[in-house]
Amino acid sequence: MLKITGGKVYDPANEINGQIKDLCIDDNGRFVESVSGGRTIDATGMIIFPGGVDVHTHVAGGAMNFARAMTPEDHRRTQAFIRTQSRRSGLGGMAPTTFATGYLYAGMGFTTVNEAAVPVLSARHTHEELADIPIVDKATLTLMANNEIMLDQMQAGEYERAKNVVAWYLWAAKSYGVKAVNPGGVAAWKWGSDAKQLNDPIAGYSSLTPGKIVTMLATICDDLQLPHPMHLHCNNLGAPGNISTTLDTLKHLEGHRAHIAHSQYHAYGGDDWDTMCSATSQLAEYFNTHPNITTDAGAVLFGDTVTITADGPWQHLLYKLTGRKWGNLDVENETGCGIVPYTYRPSNLVNAVQWASGLELMLLIKSPWQVFLSTDHPNGGCFWRYPEIIQLLMCADFRKECIAKLPDKIKNRITLPEIDREYTLYEVATSMSAGPARALGLHQKGNLGIGCDADLVIYEEEIDIARMFSHPRYVIKAGEIVIEDGDIRETPHGREFLVKPSYAPETDEFMRPLFEDCYTMQFDNYPVEIERIENPDVRILPGS
Amino acid sequence: MGGKVTCTLGEVKQRADFIVYWGGNPAECHPRHFTKYTIMQKSKFLPRGRKDRTMVLVDIRETKSAKAADIFLQVKPGKDFELITILRALIKDQHVGDEQIAETGMTRAGLDDLVHRMKSCKFGVFFFGMGLSMTRGKHMNSAALLTLAAEMNAFTKFVAMPMRGHGNVTGADVIMRWQTGYPFGITFNRGYPRYNPGEFSTVDVLVRGDCDAAFIIGADPGATMPQPAIDHLARIPTICLDPHVTHTSRLARVHITTAAQGISAPGTAYRMDELPLPLKPALKSPYPSDEEVVRRINEAIAKKPFWLPDGSQPQVVTAIG
Repeated sequence: MLKITGGKVYDPANEINGQIKDLCIDDNGRFVESVSGGRTIDATGMIIFPGGVDVHTHVAGGAMNFARAMTPEDHRRTQAFIRTQSRRSGLGGMAPTTFATGYLYAGMGFTTVNEAAVPVLSARHTHEELADIPIVDKATLTLMANNEIMLDQMQAGEYERAKNVVAWYLWAAKSYGVKAVNPGGVAAWKWGSDAKQLNDPIAGYSSLTPGKIVTMLATICDDLQLPHPMHLHCNNLGAPGNISTTLDTLKHLEGHRAHIAHSQYHAYGGDDWDTMCSATSQLAEYFNTHPNITTDAGAVLFGDTVTITADGPWQHLLYKLTGRKWGNLDVENETGCGIVPYTYRPSNLVNAVQWASGLELMLLIKSPWQVFLSTDHPNGGCFWRYPEIIQLLMCADFRKECIAKLPDKIKNRITLPEIDREYTLYEVATSMSAGPARALGLHQKGNLGIGCDADLVIYEEEIDIARMFSHPRYVIKAGEIVIEDGDIRETPHGREFLVKPSYAPETDEFMRPLFEDCYTMQFDNYPVEIERIENPDVRILPGS
Repeated sequence: MGGKVTCTLGEVKQRADFIVYWGGNPAECHPRHFTKYTIMQKSKFLPRGRKDRTMVLVDIRETKSAKAADIFLQVKPGKDFELITILRALIKDQHVGDEQIAETGMTRAGLDDLVHRMKSCKFGVFFFGMGLSMTRGKHMNSAALLTLAAEMNAFTKFVAMPMRGHGNVTGADVIMRWQTGYPFGITFNRGYPRYNPGEFSTVDVLVRGDCDAAFIIGADPGATMPQPAIDHLARIPTICLDPHVTHTSRLARVHITTAAQGISAPGTAYRMDELPLPLKPALKSPYPSDEEVVRRINEAIAKKPFWLPDGSQPQVVTAIG
C-alpha cells in the first residue's frame, strides 16, 4: 500500500490539469479511493504524471539483436550498467541490451512499451527477449502487410479468408495487433524491387496494389475489433516528395481507424535530395480534420544511431547513400528487415529538414491526443533522449537557438521558425502517456483514475526541462517504487498484453498446405506456446 | 565493409535459382541442406526444382559435394580472399590482370561465366563454411564474401549465410547478444560486459591461465582446444555438464550428467538462419536438464554474500570519447 500526497497531478485521461491531489494505491498495484497504513510519499511541490507509454519502439527481436551484433563500436563507448544486487549488467547506447532497456525506460518514467515490428516466424525469440526486459509492461505488433499467404487471398478477393488468416497469425504470434510496413513493397523487395505508388500492381501480383492492401487490412483490423487499429508504416518512406504518397494512403483509410507510424519520415516535399523540404503543414492539416487517425512523430535528433526497419528496400538505398554497414534479413513468406548505422548531422540539409519536420508535426497537429512522442527508436534517435524532445517542445526560445545553428539554406525549407507554440505539462502528459495508451486501447494505462494500473512518475520541478524529464524523483510501477532518488530499487517483471481474435475453426486446415509449401519449419511448431509468455495478459476479442 | 545481407532458409527454398557453397562440404557436414532448403526443393517460383537451380561449389579439393554441383571451382589453398576480391572487381567491370586470376587457380573464361551467371540470376545465395572462415584470412574472408553479396544487390537479389553447426552455437550467440550486446569473447570482470575476441575468447583465457575455475556446458573443449588450454582446464576446478562421458568430463573435477536436449529435455534450438525452433523431447530421462542444474546452482549462489560489500553501490561507468 502506498499513498502519495501533495503533488501537482497531470492526468489528462481524467482532465486533471495540475491540481493538488492525493493518490492511493492498494496491494494489487491499482489506484483506490483510500488506503490505511503503508508508506506515504510526500510529493509536495512535485509533479505527477501517469507512467510514460511508448506507442512505437523497437526494443527486442531478430532485427534489434542483429543491430546489436552490428554495432560493437557503440557498445564500447556507451553507458555501462554494472551488476548490483537489484539489477543485472548491460549496456545502453543506440541498441541497448535487454536488461538495460528496462532500466533506461523506467529511469525515464516510462512503464509501458509497444514493440512495433515482429515477424511471426521469430515471435518466439521476441517474447523471450521481452521477458528479459524488466519493469515495463509490453505489447507486440505482428508484421502482416507483406505476408504472401494473406496477399494471395487479397489478390483473389477472398476478404473473409484474408481476415481469418490475419487472426490466425495474430494468435500464432501471441501478439497485440497488426503492423503494416511498406505494404507490398517488402514482398517486392524479395525480387529486389519496391512499391512506391499506391495504385500500381505489386511485383509478382497481377492486380493487387498497396492501396488495396491498406484498405483491406484496416478493414480487417476494424472487423476483428482489435484494441489498437492498424499500425501503418506508409509506402515510400524517407523519399523527397513522399507527402503525395502519404496523403494518398490516408485517402485509402477514409472511414477507418488507423495509427500512422513515425509520420516525420512521410512528410517531405521537393523532387530530389537537393530540393527536399518539409511538407508537414499539409499532413498536419489532414490530422487536424480527421480525428479517427493518430500518429507518432518519429522525431529525429542529431547524433549517432542505428536504423532498423522491416522496410528492406529503403535500407538498401540508405546503404548505397552512406556506404556504411548494411544488414538485411528477409523472412520467408512474411516480411524483411534492414539495418544501417546512421549519423544525423545538423550540417546536412536533409537531416536538418528531418529534425525540423518531427518537431513541426508535434506542434502543428493541434490535439496531443493525436500525435505522440516517439523517435521510432532507434531510427530517429534513441528513446532515452526523449527528454531532449520534450525540452524542444516546451521552450520556443531554446528551439530558436537550435534553429540558428542550422545551415542558412534551411530557411525556406521548413516552417519551424514560424511556430511559437509551447507544449504545456498537460500536453506533454497527453502526448507521452494518456494519448498513446488510449490509441493502444490500453485503458488501464496512462490514467491515474480509480481502478487503473498504478504506474506513475514523480518529477521535481526544474527549470532545465530536459534534466527534469530524464531524472524523475520516483517511478512507481504497479504500485511498487522502482526508481527512487536516481537509483533502481526494484526490478519486477512486467506483463505482456496480447489479444485472442476469433477465426473460423477450419483456418488451421486451410493454412497447413499453404504453410508447408513456403515455410521450412513444422506447422505444429510454428505458433508460439502461451506458456512461453511471461505474465500474459490476454484480451479475448468478440466472437472467440 | 561490414554487416550481413541474408535471409531465412525458406527464402532460399522458395526463390534461390543460383546457389554457391564456398569452403564447405554440405553433402557430408550438413546432409539435409540440399534436400530441405536448397537445390532439391520445388517451389511456386521454381516448379522444376533441381532443373531450375544452378549450384556452384568453390573449394580447395573435390569433395563429395562436388558431385551435386553444376560447376566446381577449385581455388588454390589460401587464395579465397584474392578470388573474392577479383570477383568484386569483375562485377564492376574493373580491370583484373591474367596473372592475378591465375594465382587463384581460376581461368578468365571460368570467372567471366561465373560473373555472368551471378548477375543474370533472379535470387543468388552464398553459403560459406569453415573452409573460408577458418583458413588463412579468417574473418577477413567472411567479411569479403559478405561484402560481395551486398554489392551484388546493385544487379540482382543476392544474400549470404554462414553454414553453422556444432549443436546450438547460434542460440548461444543470440542470447549473449540480447543480454550483453556481444555474441562471444565476453568478459564480466569489471561487472559489465566487454568484448574482445582474441583476448576474452575461452581459448585465450585458458591458454593465458587467467581463470581459476571453469564451467563447461554443451561443449567438449577437452577434445578440440590446444594442449595448453586443456592443461589449464585440468589444473583448475572444472565443472562439466554433459549427457555423455567426453574428453572434458574426464578431466573435470565435477561431471554432472544431464538429459540430452531435444531427446529427453525440452528447450529451444536456433537454426543457422537464427530461427528459434522448439525442441520436444521424445524420451524421458532420469537426469535433470542443463537448465534445471544451472537454475539450482544459481539459487545456491544467491544465498551466498554478494560480491560487493554491504550497502555499497558501484558507479555507472561512461567511457571517455
